[in-house]
Amino acid sequence: MNILSNIGRSSLLAAFLFWIINLAHDFNFDYFPYIFLSLIPIYLCCAIVILFTICPIYWFSVSELFNKQQIFKTYFPIYAIIMFVLCSYGIFKAQTSIFAISFFVSAYITTLHSWVWFAKPKKLNDQTTYST
Amino acid sequence: MKHITVIIASILFSTLFYDQKIGLNLSIFSVVCIITLMISNINKFKNKTTIFHTIIYLHTAVLVFFQHTSLSILANILAFITLLGSVSESRSSIYVQWYNGLFTSIAGYFHRIFYSKDAQKKQIKKDVDVLHLAKLIGVPLVFMIVFIVLYKNGNPIFNDLISKINLSFINLKWILFTVLGYFLFSNIFNPVQIELATNKDLQTGNILHQTELFSTDILAKEKQLGTVLLFFLNILIVFYLTTDIISLKTINWSEAHVVSSQVHNGINALIASIAIAIIIILYFFRGNLNFYEENKILKNLAYVWIILNVLLVILITLKNYNYIISFGLTYKRIGVKIYLFLTLAGLITTFLKVSKVKNLWFLFRVNTQIAFVLLVVLSIINWDYSITKYNINHAQSLDLDYLITLSENNAELLNEYRKANNLSSNQNKKIITKYQDYLKDVNDRNWQEYTYSNFELKAITKTSRNHEYTK
Repeated sequence: MNILSNIGRSSLLAAFLFWIINLAHDFNFDYFPYIFLSLIPIYLCCAIVILFTICPIYWFSVSELFNKQQIFKTYFPIYAIIMFVLCSYGIFKAQTSIFAISFFVSAYITTLHSWVWFAKPKKLNDQTTYST
Repeated sequence: MKHITVIIASILFSTLFYDQKIGLNLSIFSVVCIITLMISNINKFKNKTTIFHTIIYLHTAVLVFFQHTSLSILANILAFITLLGSVSESRSSIYVQWYNGLFTSIAGYFHRIFYSKDAQKKQIKKDVDVLHLAKLIGVPLVFMIVFIVLYKNGNPIFNDLISKINLSFINLKWILFTVLGYFLFSNIFNPVQIELATNKDLQTGNILHQTELFSTDILAKEKQLGTVLLFFLNILIVFYLTTDIISLKTINWSEAHVVSSQVHNGINALIASIAIAIIIILYFFRGNLNFYEENKILKNLAYVWIILNVLLVILITLKNYNYIISFGLTYKRIGVKIYLFLTLAGLITTFLKVSKVKNLWFLFRVNTQIAFVLLVVLSIINWDYSITKYNINHAQSLDLDYLITLSENNAELLNEYRKANNLSSNQNKKIITKYQDYLKDVNDRNWQEYTYSNFELKAITKTSRNHEYTK
């Protein structure tokens, strides 16, 4: 599992989602410099969330008998539901704040995508098989 | 076919919900969901369970339009999740259907990305083109924007020209909302199932089986402990019931605070008593004690305890009933009734579990089904309207301030009551304000937000106008 690559991809996805929602609400050319600046806090947020909530599940569960795909099948549904409940609660609490809404929506989609990136084999010629 | 269906459904989703409140849109959305599910899973809709859940979902959709209560909206959402779970695997227990249904609606897309082998191969072939296309559009776009921002500050004429670009005709929010609809419909198009939970559930029956660790000595000791415990608990509950019946006769039903504390204390005792009763019974009848030949006394004591707990439920029902007669209906009092019904169902299913040697899963399955059916049945009633009507017509002591705090569903009824009775100026004012707010809310609705009250109000207005003309 390449954690750095995952955090990098997740940060770009999160930044894209966060700003697309904010710009849809209030489009202004003056925001564009901030998009690049925002990559730093977004990267930090992604790193913290991925390192503290997703990685430990893989680190502590992976073994010869329990591979990444099986970890995904076991824990991903529970993680997805918990994230959905937490993010929905966040959105519900901050009904009028577009900043909070974009933050929680991007957090939800990014973390779920991060799970898929961790569990899926990296290359086409990768011999990893799925036990569906 | 999938993409066309999902795109059409997502555009409908935006048309129905973008910047709208809940009303007719949720009912139409339910029909759209059923059609979408039918297109992709027509074979699953030949199954009786799925047909049953479809009917329940449609039923709750109709209720949202007619009743427009929070309960009917909640029942509609739960029926939607249940239907998704049923399409995913109709033979599974209702709580596994909820699990599958919820997971499908919130993360089905990610689950599908992970599982699809063919799609992965195709996607990798496609990825080259898509990536190149993204670069071709994205990189120049990003740099164009960066340089526009830089040049804007360098030249006032350029700045003026850029400021005149008006992109307001593009409703980005609407587009994002449609994307949300696309995400939802692509999630539910082919409902997914959580393999581990579903397989485990399908493999687990309702009947308890004797295990290999059958030891007569251990079971004899366990039976002894259970018998002594249940014997004394039975004596205790008999004593409690006797004193409760005596106290029932001494309550002064005209004093609200006394009755309130009596009923609420009774309920608290009941909650603790029933919960502990069921846990103790489940503990002793969790395994091989069910197959121990000399367990008759223990079983009989368990039956007696269940029956005595049913008596406790009846006593509390009686108190609650008297309370309602004196002071009318409130949500809390209805909640007590619902709780009592569920407790009764829990006790009956525990009785069945012990007598028919069922396992713990049987209790979960039956009780969650009962709770779901109860929610759907309760959503048929417009509670705010019913509470107001009952209290105005039957309650010995009317709490009008409480009725005013209820939702707008009782505004019309309260206004009629106001016209017919002499109320205090404060209450009069509150009711008039509530009725005016209700009229404004109903009249300001878009077609997506329509409910039955829109048509009802039109009919009333028309009738009153006709009366004016005839006068």
